Amino acid sequence: MTTAGTTGAAADDQVPGLDGPLGSVGSVGSVGSVGSVGSVGSVVVGAGRGDTGWLRLSPRSLVVRPLTDLVRLVPLLAGLLLLHSGTGGRLLWGLLAAGTAVVTGLIHWATTRYRITDERVYVRRGLVNTKLLSVARDRIRTVDVTAHLLHRVLGVCRVSIGTGRNDLRPGESFHLDGLTRADAETLRITLLASAIPSGLAGLADDVEGPSAAGRRGGGAEADRDLVRLRLSWLRFAPLTMTGLVVVGVLFGAVIQIINATDVTLTSTGLVKMLVSDFASLDIVQRVLVGSAVAIVFYVVVALIGYVAVYWNFRLTEHGADTVRVTRGLLSLRATTISLNRLRGVEISEPMLLRSARGARCIAITTGLHVGRGAEHEGSVLVPPAPRELAQRVTAQLLGVPEELCAGPLVRHGPAAFRRRLFRALLAAAVIIGGIILATRARHGPDWVWIGSFGFLPAAVAVAIDRYRNLGHRLTDGWLVTRTGSFSRRRNIIGTDAIIGWRIHQTLFQRRQGLMTLTATTAAGQQHYSLRDVPVEIGLAVADQATGDLLTPFRQH
Amino acid sequence: MLPGLRVPGNRVSRRAISYWTARAVLSSAVVVLAEIICAAATSFSTAWQVVLVVTVVVLAAHALIMPRWRYSVHRWEVTDQALYTRSGWFSVHWRIAPINRIQTIDSHRSLGERIFGLANVTATTASAAGPVRIHGLDKDLADLLLDQLAVATGQTPGDAT
Repeated sequence: MTTAGTTGAAADDQVPGLDGPLGSVGSVGSVGSVGSVGSVGSVVVGAGRGDTGWLRLSPRSLVVRPLTDLVRLVPLLAGLLLLHSGTGGRLLWGLLAAGTAVVTGLIHWATTRYRITDERVYVRRGLVNTKLLSVARDRIRTVDVTAHLLHRVLGVCRVSIGTGRNDLRPGESFHLDGLTRADAETLRITLLASAIPSGLAGLADDVEGPSAAGRRGGGAEADRDLVRLRLSWLRFAPLTMTGLVVVGVLFGAVIQIINATDVTLTSTGLVKMLVSDFASLDIVQRVLVGSAVAIVFYVVVALIGYVAVYWNFRLTEHGADTVRVTRGLLSLRATTISLNRLRGVEISEPMLLRSARGARCIAITTGLHVGRGAEHEGSVLVPPAPRELAQRVTAQLLGVPEELCAGPLVRHGPAAFRRRLFRALLAAAVIIGGIILATRARHGPDWVWIGSFGFLPAAVAVAIDRYRNLGHRLTDGWLVTRTGSFSRRRNIIGTDAIIGWRIHQTLFQRRQGLMTLTATTAAGQQHYSLRDVPVEIGLAVADQATGDLLTPFRQH
Repeated sequence: MLPGLRVPGNRVSRRAISYWTARAVLSSAVVVLAEIICAAATSFSTAWQVVLVVTVVVLAAHALIMPRWRYSVHRWEVTDQALYTRSGWFSVHWRIAPINRIQTIDSHRSLGERIFGLANVTATTASAAGPVRIHGLDKDLADLLLDQLAVATGQTPGDAT
């Protein structure tokens, strides 16, 4: 761990594979030239402006930032041009915004530098408040290279480094936006140095011929494909929520355009015609037509979404200890995950996907956080695909028997079932009660509230499914947990990744002899629970999973 | 309380009972005051009188029972290997964090805790879900514990993930 007092040591660092010999890090005294120095990795290194060894982004990135900012303004500008409704003031604002975008792009390029030493990676950015981020290289879990359409046109990309800490705080994430492909590839290989430098698999179609990094790879062993997208998997596209998200985004974009351009959609001829046609139908036809249109629209959007996100999806094995995920139609994404840092895999089966015998896999690793939009996408190991494949790939990646990913689990017993049944029936009772009250108050037809009793058998079915899905298993250093009904998840976590236990017991659980055992970890969702597990079984699991951690506190 | 799991060795400070009582009384007072204002608007109708009596009884029972119940549950223990706590009252939480995984230790004293000479100690691990908190410690003991844990965690190398 380097500290401000020992920058001298850092002076000997070399950047392998980059710029040859490097200058020394400036003495602490030269901090003066840097405004205020913040740090991620609890390290502040004096770094004067004159230092060598600091690398810049590609000059082409100068174009990227202003253009991306301008693209956001396109709806507004289009509106101004199309409708001629823009007053001089509006146009002025537009020009001002464009000018600001160009200037900030320039500042961004001029002030962003990065530097790699044997031990640490530094990123410096900011004009007024200079921020110096640094991270120890052995903390790097993942390297994520993305390139959206504009990036691809200009031949640059964005590199994010997943360190597992501070990634969530804004301004403290490790990313470099606007590196050339070759630089990015060199960086990726350098950072995950143990990886075999054959690289370029994912972005190969875009890299200018056999690039430097590719040639350097020379006779390296070929990558092995673990997963490759098949067209038949498109059948899973409408069965996930991804489609809904795309619909939401589209809807937002349309609203934005309407707002920006002052178009009143309802007054355009086409919409008027459609509305009047629709109004002439009777109620049954309206429902039929409405749902048919909605379903077709949803399926189309879901297919487009699936293709856009997962096109060319490949999960490849790079040598012995890294895997690489590459995918995308317009925006490309290449995520490299160090296998030593892969703590586990989540196999998730949302209800619709499950009914079609499909599943998808998400990496449980410290560099990639799950459940957070883009980051979530970064950790996808298998897109919605046949379940058997998801299970096989998981077993391969973790080096566990396939039975662990597919086989039966230890159920949590009748008390756990009673809890599930009670909760499901309670929820159903609340809904039915609400419907009865509403129909009484509004003098609605009787069949509505009588029909609502159909929720009871449905609740029982859900409870049974939830109980059957609930389970755990502990074998050979792997803890498997499974929960859920509407969204069933099986988590397979290495017990060496468990860094603590939480046990929770409510008064009701105490009477039923149950508890909720939670393993805390630095990876993925940070906590994985065995819900409503019988006390004895739960404690035995915790005991066996982490040898000496719980044992001193056991009492027999 | 949980068969098969030993009770952590140390209780928290007895003054914590007074602190929890004071806190419960204060928050109850806010609720009751709000209700009195509402009731006054309807010139103390019978319905509001019932509501008032019921809430006062329930909140008084809470202020009497909760702190003592909580005091009987809250325990903590530090060994060479782990930090082990039990907390809660209606629902009970046990937490175990290995000393060599602890990343930061800090203590925090709210105004109320300062009045009663108390402090709480929080130990965080690399897991966002794993902080271990000991509430209602005697102030001096908390300082001692903080030092002791700081030394213990400083001795373990590695990045604690």
